[in-house]
Amino acid sequence: MNDVALHDRIASLEQEVRRAFEDAQREADAMFAQYQLSQLLASGGRPADLANVVVAEIVRVCGAAACTLLLREPGATLFRQTAATSGAPTLAADDGPLSQDEVSRSATTTEAILLPLGEEPPEGFLALWPAAGSRLDPDGVRVVQLSRHELAVAFRSAQLRETLDRERQELTAIVNGATDAIIQVDEDCRIVRINPAASQLLGQFSDASIGRRCSDVLRCAEAGAHAEDACPLAEVIQSGRPIAYREAAVLDASGVVTCVAGGYSRAASEPVGRVRATAILRDISAVRALEQLREGFVATISHELRTPLALIRGYTDTLLHLQLGPGEERHYLDRIDQATQRLTTLVTEILDIAHLQADPLILERRPVSFAALVARLRGDLVATSQDARVATTQLEDLPLLEVDPVRIGQVLENVVGNALKYAPPDSPITIGAIASAEWLTVTIDDEGLGIPESDRALVLEPFHRAHNVRESNIQGTGLGLYICRRLLEAHGGKLWVGDRPDALSGTRVSFTLPLLKGETA
Amino acid sequence: MRGADVRAYLRRCAAEIERHRVYLTRLDAVLGDGDHGDNMAIGLQAIGELLEAYPLETSPGELLRAVGHRLATTVGGASGPLYGTALIEAGLVAGTAPSLDWPLIARMLDAAARGLARRGRCVVGDKTILDTLKPAADAAVAGDTPGRMLMAAWRGMRSTRPLVARRGLALRLGARSAGHLDPGAVSCFILLSAMAR
Repeated sequence: MNDVALHDRIASLEQEVRRAFEDAQREADAMFAQYQLSQLLASGGRPADLANVVVAEIVRVCGAAACTLLLREPGATLFRQTAATSGAPTLAADDGPLSQDEVSRSATTTEAILLPLGEEPPEGFLALWPAAGSRLDPDGVRVVQLSRHELAVAFRSAQLRETLDRERQELTAIVNGATDAIIQVDEDCRIVRINPAASQLLGQFSDASIGRRCSDVLRCAEAGAHAEDACPLAEVIQSGRPIAYREAAVLDASGVVTCVAGGYSRAASEPVGRVRATAILRDISAVRALEQLREGFVATISHELRTPLALIRGYTDTLLHLQLGPGEERHYLDRIDQATQRLTTLVTEILDIAHLQADPLILERRPVSFAALVARLRGDLVATSQDARVATTQLEDLPLLEVDPVRIGQVLENVVGNALKYAPPDSPITIGAIASAEWLTVTIDDEGLGIPESDRALVLEPFHRAHNVRESNIQGTGLGLYICRRLLEAHGGKLWVGDRPDALSGTRVSFTLPLLKGETA
Repeated sequence: MRGADVRAYLRRCAAEIERHRVYLTRLDAVLGDGDHGDNMAIGLQAIGELLEAYPLETSPGELLRAVGHRLATTVGGASGPLYGTALIEAGLVAGTAPSLDWPLIARMLDAAARGLARRGRCVVGDKTILDTLKPAADAAVAGDTPGRMLMAAWRGMRSTRPLVARRGLALRLGARSAGHLDPGAVSCFILLSAMAR
């Protein structure tokens, strides 16, 4: 080989080396571009955000003028534009979804290069437009083609993640918004989830409950519901069978026992090795209280009805079977009359309660003066000579009321009747009234036994009598103040009991009545 | 600048990056995946062992190419391949020259910037390493002194703060990427300032 040939050979080899080096460089550039695209895809995020980033990157990688990404919604057959760089031609006239054929047609019309993502049928399409007078970078297009499966998987994952997030948020909203207590435990009965209603029921922050054993948080054993080894949550974990309804009790952080009831179940589908049991519990204290009230009501009614009936029966038997003198007969007839009166009062009050529980209570409101209501009451008291005991403050200049005069008359009669009954004979009963913007506040003061503070709220409930009057021989049904309260509440007013403001022993009963509109103090 | 000087420079790079490791990682936590300082430190530490394997008479160009290959394979994230490419390109320009004078270094910087731009498909203003490297290379090619070259690099690095990222993971942040220095631009300035010393 001569020098020239040798020189040419060397030049040729150098050219070959340079070409090989440039090929390797291009290959490395493509690999790096693919790596960067992968990094973006792996960074996650919402499908729309990811799509915007990816189209920008692909425009750069391919040296394109514009790019549009169309994705298929999960479970759908149509493709919707998810992202596009500025200047990308419109593929769908109304931004609506497109079929695969429509995508192909639109791409042809707009001279786009269409790259399907994923396997057939594709998960989506990338439409790329080269800049005017140039073509796409073939290495860049190759990178995108190599990444088409990765792109499809990344977007499908992002869509699923978004769906999952949305469903999780909805589920969390349902659980957190539930008024029932929802508590979930793991296989060791340690709390893994607790909703705000449960935290409120237990008087604990949810964070403080997570990870603790349910027996330490619910404290059912201490509340007397069941022994620790009879925990319904442990039972459903063991057996796998749900408990549709079971009553229990929990002890809150401040030591208050609350009766609860509800269902217990084990999660229907769960990953292998992960067991979850859920309790959905409702505070049934109010139901229990109502039950007790109903039972108490029945027992009291039975007792209250039987007692005068037994008296009537006894006196009637005596009158029928014994020869009595006229004085004795008179005495027995008086007693029968008293028992009949008592029965009549009781039946009337029970009927009143039944009527009050009708919703809505029908009131016949009309303008009336409070002074007239008091005057009528005084008239009724004349027969029993009790009218002299009732004193009033200045009532004549008060604004008119808009009330049902019969019902409010009944309230006055009841409250003043109580005062007369429980105060010493001849002691005065004082009726006062003060008008404000929309209400007339009525006060009735007596010098009687007074109502102990612990009984003041309870005497407004049916059949409850303050313990000091229960110990006295004064008879009563415990319904009067309850009826008054309900009647006043039906008028929008309220009733409360307290001490007299002048430090004398006795009670002040106060209530509010609505003024006629346009009437002011 | 002979082979021994290049070795000393690379060791200074490793030390400086280690010194600013936490800062770089903190910058990257805002814009990227929060590992730039750690990745660079690990990669440059690996260079120390590599340099031991090369005989003392190894030319600067060969050393830089070897280091470039090592960085490309040991530094995680995008910065490894990018810095690796820059060093390889610089090494190719240096060829087998036994020592590097400033005009040759200027051409090496220019080749490094062009190689990095090609590999990263980036331009000045994208909020990348190139925002520091390109002005530095331009200054050197224009005949500026090393000190002026470093000033150009510093201005380039500072220019990344208001920029909206157009490359890399920071792309996800969009407008939120503005207001932060690019960690790559900062590490590039650290490497260039190690050279100027």
